[in-house]
Amino acid sequence: MNRNLYQPINGGIVDIIDESPTIKSFVVVLEETFKFETGQFVELTLPGEGEAPFTPSSSPSDTKKMEITIMKAGRITALLHDCEKGQKVGIRGPYGKGYPIDDFVGKEVYIVGGGVGLAPIRSLFLTLVERIEDFKSVVCRFGAKTPDDYIYKKTLFNSWQKIDRVDMKLTVDEANGSWDGNVGVVTTILAPDDVDISKAVAVVCGPPIMMKFATLKLLEFGFGAEQIYLSMEKNMSCGVGKCGHCMIGKYYVCKDGPVFTYDQIKDYPNIWD
Amino acid sequence: MSKMQTVLISELKPFLDAVAEQMELYVPQKTGTHYVYNRYDPSTEVPVEFNNIRTCTPVKEFLFPLRELAAVYPEPFEPKDIKPFAVFGLKDCDLRSIEILDKVFTEEEFEDPFYVSRREIMFIISSDCFEPADSCFCNVLDGRPFATSGFDLNVSQVKDGFIIEVGSQKGKDFVEKYSRLFTETTESLLADRDKNRAETQKQLEQNNADLKFDKPVNEIVENSQDSDVYDQEAKTCVECQACTRVCPTCHCFFLYDTKKDDYFAKMKMWDSCMRLAYAEVAGGANPRKVLGDRLRHRFMHKFSYFLDRYGIQMCIGCGRCVDAEAGEVDIRKVLKKLNEELKGKDKTKAEVAK
Repeated sequence: MNRNLYQPINGGIVDIIDESPTIKSFVVVLEETFKFETGQFVELTLPGEGEAPFTPSSSPSDTKKMEITIMKAGRITALLHDCEKGQKVGIRGPYGKGYPIDDFVGKEVYIVGGGVGLAPIRSLFLTLVERIEDFKSVVCRFGAKTPDDYIYKKTLFNSWQKIDRVDMKLTVDEANGSWDGNVGVVTTILAPDDVDISKAVAVVCGPPIMMKFATLKLLEFGFGAEQIYLSMEKNMSCGVGKCGHCMIGKYYVCKDGPVFTYDQIKDYPNIWD
Repeated sequence: MSKMQTVLISELKPFLDAVAEQMELYVPQKTGTHYVYNRYDPSTEVPVEFNNIRTCTPVKEFLFPLRELAAVYPEPFEPKDIKPFAVFGLKDCDLRSIEILDKVFTEEEFEDPFYVSRREIMFIISSDCFEPADSCFCNVLDGRPFATSGFDLNVSQVKDGFIIEVGSQKGKDFVEKYSRLFTETTESLLADRDKNRAETQKQLEQNNADLKFDKPVNEIVENSQDSDVYDQEAKTCVECQACTRVCPTCHCFFLYDTKKDDYFAKMKMWDSCMRLAYAEVAGGANPRKVLGDRLRHRFMHKFSYFLDRYGIQMCIGCGRCVDAEAGEVDIRKVLKKLNEELKGKDKTKAEVAK
């Protein structure tokens, strides 16, 4: 018999990085070898308190540790934000289907992200950059509420922008301080000629409202519903397609997703809620 | 039919005593107008009833208990040596519900170790139905008032006693071990059994004569994505969730963590898709805030999504939800309304085509 699928792998938090006023990254080291694919998610257990689903924000090629970026949004995330280095945690997973990177080869990868949605995108971005020669370009259009709300500021504002074949534009809903970039929601920095749509795929991840309007914008530009990859956040509890909480229509987000093409889920009701 | 396959016994008690000698045995016991399962006590004077229909509680509670330990940490926890147990009086609908749960919990890649352990060790003694309840509608969903597979032993009441049919190697081993209890069945008794079965089947068909559909049920439900029926029906739903609790195929659960000193455990407990916060995520987003949407999802899952994924429908027509419902949502009436609605749509489509 396989390992008990409800049993987490033991691990601990070795470092905590303050990313924004409401978001922290937790560096987790596990007692067992752990492999995942970018876009897959894990269930992070805070022993005795509960668990919640997160997509790691680090590259799968880093097999020694895993980073998980978490916004304070509910009970478990608030408790995690109060944790200190050395806190014992458990991990179940990895679960679901991630980004089909091999299908992106030779194409322009158009990434639209916002807020804490940059967490799964960071993992994808790092993965793409590791083999950047395989892609025509990686075009990023990111947004945040204010400059302070950006996560991964150190790399996002500097080194990532200088990578060959990477084209990056950032925006904020409200500017402050020394921000000299675009002001407006992320759809205001999307342009039909950002990529050659016939040779591109789009990836969207962020708050539901942003995902909805970014997807509609991409469709307006001429993207096919099957060219748009969405990372869906639903109530993934068991992670293995049994408990039912995360269902969108016939799909278990935990097993058939969390990455879906818009084409797969567009006909189901309330997908953005 | 070979003699190896059926045997006869004049009374139930020696048979049940023999089973109880081997393992924990659960038998149906009448409480009010319904049956529930109780542990069998061989010393009791009260004779065990041969239940005419299914119990009101679902068989899933034996395989997937209402609440169970799922994990303990930091030290791993594997399913303890689950004690052998037997359940007597399961009906064909119950066996079909087990077949459905097997699809979910014994999936190769994601086997639920606790379910699998109980499933392997469970000794299934089914029995034929007679005098079906008003809520029974298994015949409409390809069910029958008697089982033909999925049991270790099946018991049929006939005029001179009980015919026991062997359905598995485990069942065969049992009958051989206790051969002293049994005599041979006769052709005339087997004919009596078949007559009883046919009569019960006929009665079911009569009871459900009104429940006729113009298309396969899955097609009717598949087409109900935009139907108003769910919102209308939701007005009579009091959100008691009883429909999903007593449903032998509903298998939603939630995991929660608990602690005591340095003991940490993850628990698994039944949940219901009819509950408001069921699909809610941190921050409050919820794709099924509206009760009618939750009702729709329940029907779509049962009749369409599950079929799509596992090749089998998730409703067996046992009617437990009809009996348990504190509001007025009746699964049969909802299906009938959807059927009527689809008829109307078809006409419109046909008219448009002309």
